[in-house]
Amino acid sequence: MKTMAAEILNEYGPYPGVDNVHGVTFDGNHVWFASGDRINAIDPDSGAAVRSLDAAAYAGTAFDGQHLYQIAENRIDKIDPATGRVLASIPGPAGGGESGLAWAEGTLWVGEYQGRKIHQVDPETGKILRTIESNRFVTGVTWVDGDLWHGTWQDDKGDVRHIDPSTGEVLEVLEMPAGIGVSGLESDGAGRFFCGGGSDGKLRAIRRPERVS
Amino acid sequence: MDALIAAAARALATGDILGALKRVALRDDGPALALRGIAMAQLGDLARSKALLKSAARAFGPKEAVARARCSVAEAEIAFVSRELSWPLATLAAARATLEQRGDRINAIHALHLEVRRMLLLGQLDEAEQRLGAPAPAPIPPALTAAHHMIVAGIAMRRLQAAPARAALAQAHQAARQAGIGALVAEVETASAILEAPAARLIAGGKERLLRIDDVETLLASDALIIDANRNLVRSTETIIALAARPVLFALVRTLAEAWPHDVTRETLLIRAFGARHADESHRARLRVEIGRLRAALRPLANIVATKRGFALKPRRKCEVIVLAPPVEERHANVLALLADGEAWSSSALAIALGASARTVQRALEELSASGKAQSFGRGRALRWITPPLPAFPTILLLPGPLPGG
Repeated sequence: MKTMAAEILNEYGPYPGVDNVHGVTFDGNHVWFASGDRINAIDPDSGAAVRSLDAAAYAGTAFDGQHLYQIAENRIDKIDPATGRVLASIPGPAGGGESGLAWAEGTLWVGEYQGRKIHQVDPETGKILRTIESNRFVTGVTWVDGDLWHGTWQDDKGDVRHIDPSTGEVLEVLEMPAGIGVSGLESDGAGRFFCGGGSDGKLRAIRRPERVS
Repeated sequence: MDALIAAAARALATGDILGALKRVALRDDGPALALRGIAMAQLGDLARSKALLKSAARAFGPKEAVARARCSVAEAEIAFVSRELSWPLATLAAARATLEQRGDRINAIHALHLEVRRMLLLGQLDEAEQRLGAPAPAPIPPALTAAHHMIVAGIAMRRLQAAPARAALAQAHQAARQAGIGALVAEVETASAILEAPAARLIAGGKERLLRIDDVETLLASDALIIDANRNLVRSTETIIALAARPVLFALVRTLAEAWPHDVTRETLLIRAFGARHADESHRARLRVEIGRLRAALRPLANIVATKRGFALKPRRKCEVIVLAPPVEERHANVLALLADGEAWSSSALAIALGASARTVQRALEELSASGKAQSFGRGRALRWITPPLPAFPTILLLPGPLPGG
């Protein structure tokens, strides 16, 4: 396992009306983040708030190339990002204990916070396909280049870690500075991760390390 | 933090207590216990709330400093609203420092508000104002903005400064509405009603009228000779003569002032000051002695001259004489009048000020407390009494909010 300090490239916010950043996702142009009663889109280059959708948005957010998925209490809503309309809902796999959400390989990956687990879920039915155990409270979840990464936040410490999806083994850890937690997590498909800061109302971009082979 | 905790915290922050409880009622992890504790406090079940917050702090463990600090702040608030002012201030200050350090500005500001409200309750107006400082830079949630302006209004009301109090309440009202918390809007409206209600009764030249706080402020700034029956003192511009510890002298000067510019008969003075039904020679002798004492006490501001029928008050300067009385004079009005100065009184201090026995004062306080007109806090020798209409305060406990894992 390789441990290093996270390199913060950029800090965004806090934005007006946002006390809390929950889930984070990226649609190729904009970073979206959940803040309780809204999903907000910002431009990651300028940091400018672009638009927002009214929605119950209490934890993880994901994007499948076309729709947003948003954890709202004990269900996961599928939302049209153009209109904000909820197109479908599936029950969450942890009955309200869900935290992070990612889209990869045609399925949803749901972090269960207190349970220290990540569930792979069928996006149509909500059926749990398999479960990966972690040893830390799981917050955000993301896939990039076939690697599974998740955020943690426990005992006032946060980090972003790369794990082996088949065994749960921790391969790399990027430690956040003291007192900064990670709520949501998303990669931009390239050299950056976007991390929600939870109660500090901020969003941070950190550098993704070179791939270990 | 997980979705249900986030949803429950948000429900609490917007005043939806039952919505918050519905989401976490059956959970026993740290964040859920803390949220349940705060919800119970808002529902008024302070005992249950204290127990829940204590178990939440235990569930969090020593490493989760921020979550524990939030529990401390919530416990301090419960102690404050139940007027247990012996709650350790150092714990609150330490919790506030932790929250500030870890970037939880919102709960740090809430902790600061608690410290300042405690100062205001104890009548430490200058310290409260200094400690409160300017409003925190935006963005802060409107509920906190409302709380800030409520404190500013409270300080101004205690200083009888109507215009700044009104301006602060208007800002508080706007922020409370923006927060969308019904209970908070109602508290601001109650405070506004207190500000606009008659604050005193003016008695001059045989006539009476009710005064609002603005009128009292104007009156105190005028050069009139004011006999203030709220605090049992005589004042004119800068000079203040306290008679709180000398009730007989105060009763005499008040009777003389109410008749001014005319004189008052000896019989009337005897009845008002001593409660004597008929005046005999010994009463007359005592009246002469007390008038002599009053004359000495009032020397800088006024003289008392003997007339054919009795006595008359003569201000040193050419000015009006005005009696400022409580809006309603009721049973134990003297105790209420002393408490109305906004200080926290011990019952022994009240007894000395009123020239009454400790037992009499105790009985009066118990009666006033039963009818909600006086409140006590502290225990034993530290027990203190106040009148409730501090402008009502937003006793909206903040959520311990975004808990670790937020």
